[in-house]
Amino acid sequence: MMARKQLIRALPAEWPVTISQANHGEEAMQMLRQGLAEVMLLDLTMPVMDGFEVLAALRDEGLSCKVIVVSGDVQEEAIRRVSELGALAFIKKPADPQKLHETLSRLGLLAPPTPASPSSTPAVVAVPARPAFELKINFRDALREISNVAMGRAAALLAKVLGVFVELPVPAVNIFEVSELHMTLADAQRGERFSALCQGFIGDGIAGEALLLFHDSEIADISRLFKWHPKDETETSEMLLDLASILIGACLSGISEQIDVRFSQGHPQLLGLHGSIDSLIHVNQQRWRKTLAVEISYSLEGHNVHFDLLLLFTEDSIQRLSHKINYLLN
Amino acid sequence: MPAQIDIKEVHWLLDIVQCIDVGVIVLDRQYQIEVWNSFMENHSGMGPDEVYGKSLFGLFAEIDEAWFRRKVDTVVQLGTRAFSLWEQHPYLVHFKNYQPITGQADFMYQNVTLLPLTAANGAVEHICVVIYDATEAAVHKRQLAK
Repeated sequence: MMARKQLIRALPAEWPVTISQANHGEEAMQMLRQGLAEVMLLDLTMPVMDGFEVLAALRDEGLSCKVIVVSGDVQEEAIRRVSELGALAFIKKPADPQKLHETLSRLGLLAPPTPASPSSTPAVVAVPARPAFELKINFRDALREISNVAMGRAAALLAKVLGVFVELPVPAVNIFEVSELHMTLADAQRGERFSALCQGFIGDGIAGEALLLFHDSEIADISRLFKWHPKDETETSEMLLDLASILIGACLSGISEQIDVRFSQGHPQLLGLHGSIDSLIHVNQQRWRKTLAVEISYSLEGHNVHFDLLLLFTEDSIQRLSHKINYLLN
Repeated sequence: MPAQIDIKEVHWLLDIVQCIDVGVIVLDRQYQIEVWNSFMENHSGMGPDEVYGKSLFGLFAEIDEAWFRRKVDTVVQLGTRAFSLWEQHPYLVHFKNYQPITGQADFMYQNVTLLPLTAANGAVEHICVVIYDATEAAVHKRQLAK
């Protein structure tokens, strides 16, 4: 919802359109089948049916609609694919009003409607759903959106370095008690051996740790991608630390930029190689009760590689984060 | 350092002091703060505007004033560096653990270095306090001791 609100606010004021909103790709398709739109502003990262699938479906069903993609997924490959699938333009999130105006103008979409069509141009804005949670809906939604944009940047860097396409699902935002975090990590581990890295960050009253999990079964694939042949544990550790620096660094700076906070970052640490949840991550402790967790699972297309990145904010960061986000929304 | 430093290099050096992951404080002889880098800002929650010109002791009641003054006096009088190790003195300023979720310690253990900064006339007018996060070493040592 935050993405839609931001996007709608960025649209040119003088554009004579009626706007319909879709929560995800499936809803957008239903609207398009009913001929409800001439123009669509389409996000890529959506639940149920993502942006790529929508574009493909439009093409397969022979539906005409002028599509402008507005997304946080800024990988070159993503941009290439949407063009190939028929999108007319790609705008990076958060959408800059001037850029939007220029694009709409360039595509001849700002022009007054023809006599044959209704008094205003129908446009659809399709961006992710807003599910119901315990946290105030605005905050959770907003944080999810911010994380979405941040991880889009991280993915683009990764894509460039490794020459792969990164699949980006919608980030999951939850407040966890100690035991719930433990369960989430156990789920991520899927009963396998894995390796974990962490990096602390703090700034402007917001503090936390970024945790990156790699499954041992995938380390060989990761090495191949990096075109490295780690001879031993030391080299494997170094490779994982490099990867962690890229992913965590890009994600944190993506968030940092959007909420206008500068973070100090500790050195990335290897929590352990080839272990189980209990041996590697000591979360059963009396030092904290709740954490605000943003869970981002990257997958690399065509490779058996997944990274689970968890941004764990401290409980006392939540108020400050909320304040910063409200500022951003208004 | 070259005699002629152009403005761009000064800019970089300032950036470096801000960005490095150690605390950098500069105090005058009255223990008032003149330099406060990003590490200090982010971990204390107080920006440069809130601390400039204020006494370090006034802002951080946890500092053992007598102990710190003794250390600084050595630096000023002898022009030599002074050190504080976490083993003898766990921290100078009380900061939270840099790893709040998976970390094993209740606070940040710190090693401290005190450096004399000489004025043009050769007298030591300022002290530079460098704070290093020694939590990892402290935690490991404790674990080995178990």
